[in-house]
Amino acid sequence: MAVEYKKNLVVFHDVVGVEDAEALLEWLQKKRTAKVDLSACTHLHPANLQVLMASKPAVQAWPADAPLRAWLEPILTAP
Amino acid sequence: MKRILIVDDAATVRLYHREILETADFMVDEAMNGIEALEKALQTGFDLFLVDINMPKLDGYGFLRELRGQDLPQAPAIMISTEAQTNDERRAYAAGANLYLIKPVKPERLLAQVRMLLGELHP
Amino acid sequence: MSPLLEQFLSEARDFLQGIGEKLMQLEAAPADADLMNELFRLVHTLKGNSGLFDAPEMTRVLHAGEDLMDAVRNGRVAYSRPLADRLLDAMDFVGMLCDELESDGQLGAAHAGDSVRLVDALRHLLQPDDAPAEAPAPESTPESAPAPTASLAEPTPVADTASLPLASIPEAVRMQAYRRACAGEPLSWLAYRPHEQCFYQGDDPFFLARQTPELLWSRIEAREPWPPLAELDAYSCMLDFQLLTAAPRAALEEQYRYVMDQVQTTEVPRLALVMPQGDPNGGPVYDDFAADARRLLQTGDLEGLARNASTLLELSSPDLWIASALRWLQLVLETEPENKAILDALVDCLGSLAAPQWGTAGAAETHTASASTSIRQDPAPRNERGQEAEGVADASDEATPALSPLAADALAAVVAAQGEVLALTDEPRWLPGRLKAAAAALSGCLRATGATAKLQDLEAATAAALARNSGAPLLTWIAAVFPAELVGEPGAAAPVTAAPPSPAHSAPQPPEAEGEIKFGRRAEDAISGPKSLKVDQAKIDRLMNLIGEMVVAKNALPYLAGRAEAVFGVRELAREIKGHYGVINRIAEEMQGAIMQIRMMPVSFVFQRFPRLVRDISRKLGKEVELILEGEDTEADKTIIESLGDPLMHIVRNSLDHGIESPELRRAAGKPATGTLRLRAMQESDRVVIEISDDGKGIDPDIIKRKAYAKGLIDETLLEQISDQEAVNLVFAAGFSTTEVISDLSGRGVGMDVVRTAVEKVNGSVALTSQQGRGTQIRLSLPLSMAVTNVMIVVSDGQRFGVPMDRVVETVRVPRAAIRTIKHSLATVLRGRIVPLKSINDLLGLSAPPKANADDELAVLVVRLGDESLGLLVDDFSETLDIILKPMTGVLAGLPAYAGSALMGDGSVLMVLNVKEIL
Repeated sequence: MAVEYKKNLVVFHDVVGVEDAEALLEWLQKKRTAKVDLSACTHLHPANLQVLMASKPAVQAWPADAPLRAWLEPILTAP
Repeated sequence: MKRILIVDDAATVRLYHREILETADFMVDEAMNGIEALEKALQTGFDLFLVDINMPKLDGYGFLRELRGQDLPQAPAIMISTEAQTNDERRAYAAGANLYLIKPVKPERLLAQVRMLLGELHP
Repeated sequence: MSPLLEQFLSEARDFLQGIGEKLMQLEAAPADADLMNELFRLVHTLKGNSGLFDAPEMTRVLHAGEDLMDAVRNGRVAYSRPLADRLLDAMDFVGMLCDELESDGQLGAAHAGDSVRLVDALRHLLQPDDAPAEAPAPESTPESAPAPTASLAEPTPVADTASLPLASIPEAVRMQAYRRACAGEPLSWLAYRPHEQCFYQGDDPFFLARQTPELLWSRIEAREPWPPLAELDAYSCMLDFQLLTAAPRAALEEQYRYVMDQVQTTEVPRLALVMPQGDPNGGPVYDDFAADARRLLQTGDLEGLARNASTLLELSSPDLWIASALRWLQLVLETEPENKAILDALVDCLGSLAAPQWGTAGAAETHTASASTSIRQDPAPRNERGQEAEGVADASDEATPALSPLAADALAAVVAAQGEVLALTDEPRWLPGRLKAAAAALSGCLRATGATAKLQDLEAATAAALARNSGAPLLTWIAAVFPAELVGEPGAAAPVTAAPPSPAHSAPQPPEAEGEIKFGRRAEDAISGPKSLKVDQAKIDRLMNLIGEMVVAKNALPYLAGRAEAVFGVRELAREIKGHYGVINRIAEEMQGAIMQIRMMPVSFVFQRFPRLVRDISRKLGKEVELILEGEDTEADKTIIESLGDPLMHIVRNSLDHGIESPELRRAAGKPATGTLRLRAMQESDRVVIEISDDGKGIDPDIIKRKAYAKGLIDETLLEQISDQEAVNLVFAAGFSTTEVISDLSGRGVGMDVVRTAVEKVNGSVALTSQQGRGTQIRLSLPLSMAVTNVMIVVSDGQRFGVPMDRVVETVRVPRAAIRTIKHSLATVLRGRIVPLKSINDLLGLSAPPKANADDELAVLVVRLGDESLGLLVDDFSETLDIILKPMTGVLAGLPAYAGSALMGDGSVLMVLNVKEIL
């Protein structure tokens, strides 16, 4: 399970594929205050990335993978 | 009802534009090349022309130059090109086009610009 | 399938056919400019059409083909056979995609790889031999001929990179990049804009970007502001990737090879990175430092300069602009202290607090930074345009409370375009028309936005413009009514990528003498409207069925006339019915002829694929063959023409494979090295004849005889007696194949019997003559039309059957006594020849014995079966009739004994025998 949905938190594991984007979008539409935990994520398909960029959930934990974090931090940090 | 002449040698493109324009309640006529277009334009008035560039017999530039050379009321013309012709925009304007678009044109965008040129009040 | 797709596919096939033909013709006349232009136009139009559908693989390949053709027609690339091969391959690929679109309604992702390879192959040909291999081909048309690469070569590198958002890269990263550049590594800015639909093709652009070699810095941008989540399409890629890398160009091309069309790279000269940033205010007084620094620099005391800089830096807040400039000074002192020009400029800027101008200071450096090479010029980012559009909407606020974003965009585009039109300074004879049209467009803008109050002003401005024969009055009007910046920046709304020079400064448009078309002359050319009509075959078939029914209905009239006289005793009426029958009969026959005429097709339909086929196969076999086509406009019924395809293909392949020799052999035999293969079609009375002849080695009758004997097709006696002519025709015998080695091309273990079977299926015949060493000629003779069949009606066991007249030799009545039994078979002697007899009842499984007439004679229908004659014992003969034969359908299709059925005038059904099958 690459994407784990908890009560108000979505946790990304390893590689999150394109097929997860739709469910992610639906879930985030319902949970407007949800947070996201990326610590265990090593890669995510850009479809998911778009969903995160558009829905702007608070990032509870950045990826441990430093290069990935460098990509994501500027675009997912709340303004 | 506003009348629009589609000038293109590709039947597929004509059909594509015809479908877009007809759903918006325009009256559409077609011509397969510049000569045919000019004949039609001189016979009947049109309110707008949608003109392809590359056509046999008489291309889009030639058609527009001839059309603009007539001492008649002049309707706006949209020249529709493919992306390969990046530098043709100025040529299009020089020949008498009033707008230069790149194929394929998104339907809603085309309609917005057609309405603008025809002076149809936007909703 | 949507009508649009249907239209596209039908048109695409025509185009592909045309492209193939033109390419073939070009091989013979590589310098023919008209041909070349026509070819370009076909590829170009097809590409444009394909862009309407979600078929990126197709568009991509066609685009590459178009560019290549463009280069060829402009003489930038020479036409060659390998080039034609590549293009033909590409068109085959497109044809295959068309097939898939037709069957599945969409394209699978599986072709992306193939399309990229094809594109690479095509693009590879675009590189002139003397150009460096890494220079990608400009994607532009000849008109734009100083291609982007060339036009970008002039400005300094810094000016090139000025448009890049290098300033958004953190200073530390830029400094690191600078060090690497000093160490000789190339720096590139790469902008990757994936196709919106790329996720559907299995692409992961983010992954691709992450894997970029020697990545120094990167960022992701959304192309547009995000819509509300409910409207977000997660699967439409809206992301742009931008990055700075120190990887060599070749490595980048390798990394992005599948999406090269979506990537734009710009070489970044290291000086472009030297960009002090920070708070411009405050800090100690720097003038002294600048003066000292300049002195130290002049005396060559770089150590002193470094010390001073370091001291000052410690005194300054790191956030200051000046601190940043000092850090750069330190870096340059460390990495390239010998480069005085850069140090000078940096020291200068410390005094002036203005960013260094590398355009002049770094002039000596420009050799290290070549011109940026644009793989693809992207349109201005959409969000910017959106903003400008809003600006327009605001400006016309007073007239219109709210314009939709689309409308605002349209307004901006139209106004900007008219600005361009009116700013043109050429004065062609059509200038008044051009001015009027621009005024009409502007009037549209006013009316569309409800600003009708301004129409009067516009009219006045238009009148002034016409009077002065200049766009200036209207330009002034635009500036007054619409925001000025909009007119000055037409590129903002125009969809064109290469930013045109601002109209105000642009040179007058050169008179387009070369492009101008003298309409007067053109008008004399014949104007050809659409001459042909594409009709679905099902509609023609329906017409055929209807006329069939009409013929049947018409045939009921003589019955009616007969009944009128015999049953009702009104002879007058009977005669009138017969008279009318004559009229209707004539009309029906003409109509039938006309409909059959619709079904007539020229044999070119099957011939046209051979130039390509012969070319490909002969090249594969290392043979040189000239194909000559004759009588291509000979016509025959569609069914006949279509049935010709496979037999012809087989014969031609055989001829190439086994007939025509290799050039060496031919020369050795005293023949021209190039063999000739001739396909000739002609009409002979009611038959269409196709002759396929070659000047190859012919057929050796002895080999055929031996082989036929070995295969048990002939016995020893026949082996001795058979003539050479008869022997060569043995190749048509079932199970005979002349090839010892099954070749890749024609072999496959099937012989010419396939040809014979196929031809006979449409009532055709085939004959072969061959002269050893001189060549082979095969002659196919086929009926012009299958639509109407003339049948003889026979009666047996009380039932009526039809026998196709082309099988019937004669009808005779044979006394029972003249029928002998030879070896359990019946036979009789007719004019000195023994004719075997078969009872039709036996053949059809009817138990009744043949009926004799009053004179005890039996009715014998003599039919032809190949070269043999055979007698069918029937009860009686009846009339001959023209019928429309309908093939057996459904379960009846499994009954080989019948060729089909026909409706009779009295409503009964006539079964037509397939004589060959029942015997």
